[in-house]
Amino acid sequence: MIKIIKPLNTTRRTLVAVLMMTAIVLPGSLFAQRNDDNARYSALLTRLESLKQEATLVEDILQIQRLGRSFGFYLDKGYFGEAADLFTDSGRVQYGMDGVYIGRDRIQELFTRHGGGSMNAGPGLPFGRLNLHMQLQPLVTVADDGRTASARWREWALLGNYKEQAQWGDAIQENDYIKEGGVWKISAMRFYTNFVAPYEGGWASLQPVFGNWQSEVARSFRPDQPAPGNYRPFPSVYTPPYHYANDRRAISAPGPIALRRRPNDVLGQLEANADAQELKLARLHSARAVENLQAMYGYYIDKGKWTEAASLFSEDGVWEFGQRGQYIGRDSIRRGLALMGPEGLESGQLNNYPMLQPVIHVSEDNSRAWGRFRSDVMLARNGTGQWGGGVYENEYINDNGTWRISKQHYWVTFWGDYDQGWTGAGIIPMAPASTTNPPDAPPSVVYQSFPNTYVVPFHYDHPVIGEPHNDMGRLTADQAAGRNVR
Amino acid sequence: MNTFKLLTKKTNLIQNKLLKVSLLFLVTCNLGLVTGAALSQTPAQLEALQSELEALSIRTERLQDVEEIEILQRSYGYYVDKSLWYSLHDLWTEDGTLEIGGRGVFTGKDRVFEYMNVGLGPVGPARNLLVDHQQFQNIVTISADGQSAELRGIAMVMSSGGWGHCYYENDFVKENGVWKMKTLHGPFNMYSGYDIGWVDNIIINTWPAKFPPPPDLPPSVIYLAYPSYYVEPYHYPNPVTGAPMPPHDPAAGGEAFGREQ
Repeated sequence: MIKIIKPLNTTRRTLVAVLMMTAIVLPGSLFAQRNDDNARYSALLTRLESLKQEATLVEDILQIQRLGRSFGFYLDKGYFGEAADLFTDSGRVQYGMDGVYIGRDRIQELFTRHGGGSMNAGPGLPFGRLNLHMQLQPLVTVADDGRTASARWREWALLGNYKEQAQWGDAIQENDYIKEGGVWKISAMRFYTNFVAPYEGGWASLQPVFGNWQSEVARSFRPDQPAPGNYRPFPSVYTPPYHYANDRRAISAPGPIALRRRPNDVLGQLEANADAQELKLARLHSARAVENLQAMYGYYIDKGKWTEAASLFSEDGVWEFGQRGQYIGRDSIRRGLALMGPEGLESGQLNNYPMLQPVIHVSEDNSRAWGRFRSDVMLARNGTGQWGGGVYENEYINDNGTWRISKQHYWVTFWGDYDQGWTGAGIIPMAPASTTNPPDAPPSVVYQSFPNTYVVPFHYDHPVIGEPHNDMGRLTADQAAGRNVR
Repeated sequence: MNTFKLLTKKTNLIQNKLLKVSLLFLVTCNLGLVTGAALSQTPAQLEALQSELEALSIRTERLQDVEEIEILQRSYGYYVDKSLWYSLHDLWTEDGTLEIGGRGVFTGKDRVFEYMNVGLGPVGPARNLLVDHQQFQNIVTISADGQSAELRGIAMVMSSGGWGHCYYENDFVKENGVWKMKTLHGPFNMYSGYDIGWVDNIIINTWPAKFPPPPDLPPSVIYLAYPSYYVEPYHYPNPVTGAPMPPHDPAAGGEAFGREQ
């Protein structure tokens, strides 16, 4: 048997040389190495602290979302005391132009009266009272010290008394929060009623409001302080102040993260562990920033702020709406947005584009993101109301720590007049490309909205089976195999 | 064996020996680093750092869990919109359950499929049919061990039948690292036609025999939706006081039945 002996191996020779050198030099270099390891160790301690802060920030955002959503669930079912318990001792609610109510007892009574409950009974509502207050589209900004925060919310309400009236409610909240003893609480709620409209005729039937428009509740239950300033609800156009004017923290997150190689020693393993945590937390933070970004876009669109909305796009961003075609770059996008009306809207115009039901995925390196959203649209112009609905499939880019929209695509499901919605002859087909304000490129996909139907492609694989969505293919296969499906 | 080969072998042997010695020396030095014999980080310090990172990774995982469960629930809504029953039933565990309105409990992933396919219609979107099930306001609570979770949420329905508003109190479990729907429980709050809305024209609930298929178990709770009052118990305590949510007070008067005379 011939044993094959390897010729002199260069790699191995080099290795031996290096190792021998190291072995000889090491005693002398131990001191240096020790300093180096001390530096790595203390760098890890510092990093651990900043990672903890990052985790706390994402937890804070979720906790503030939880507060707002709980507030809605409590109002819905007449748990007004529990809703008031979400406030600090000196918590304040500024309600429309009613005024400001201070302290939990006053807040409980305010919402009890508005909700049609009774101060003489525990949680609950009388028979025939509908008081559903959906809390949507949170845009949360946490202060740098992590002790206070602000959030903008959209409230969409279904209100009524059985056999007497049914109403739609539309409002914006700008709220402040404070962390007391590790617990987030609402310190101030500014509740800007936009309208409470009768179901019959809808919001487009509302007449302009003049003079004092305090609610019946405020006339019998006087506020502790008058409301600061003055505004008039729809059909006037009023923009409740944005807590994030010139503040981009809500849409900021760590920048893209490149994979780092770490030495294969104990400290290196700890460093690699910290790297993995950092990336995971950055991606979680980014998902919240993208949710905020889309909400910010929606809140600008609501009020015809085309310039602000366009500024949220990347330099070469794309905006595509229904069959109107694609507008490319910020200037074009502003031009495309103006198809909805004049900058700032006109009196009597309603342009509510809620940003709902987000499914956001951030790329492995935290540089890109994809988001599916839904937007059911409440519109009015020239005394005519409309409902619309559709799905967004959008793309986002992490621009050195600020998230921007790189592609916004709104796929229209249905459009209809208010009176019949999607149920009758009031269906409105999608508008084609404008001739006076033409797009830069035609629609990327040609399809028709309701009564036709179209499945907007999913940017993500099925969350459980991890495969692309293929329902129609599976149906065909099952039918071919004789399985009892239709 | 010729001389060259012998030489080569010898050299290799020497090389191997040197390699081993150097490695041993390096390892010893590195051990020294770790044990703190030569350096300032004690094993206790390094272990403390390690366990801090582990504690952090649990926090990170809980945040990731919330994210994944929200995606599951919201995907359910997008699947209902377009009757994507394959994708929908794949969200469930094999033995998971579904209970919507008053139609009783359907047990197992296959029955979830049947509920949709037999009860609601063929796979895939249909012309002239709108069944948008918007998923709102999720509150997700992960168990301490990270293996199960609960969610309260809303479906705001815009459909060919009109309006609907229902809650969810759903349960999820993590199987082999993947979150799945264990229980979907969707009590109705208000269902009405489009024409005049909820001023009247109300559907107070569904029931097991309303349309096929039949359930495996009767409804877990008997209630009427609007204009009656029903509150599905809250799975989570008040986030500020930490107190569990009290039951509603019948004196508020909203229930159509079950009230004291």
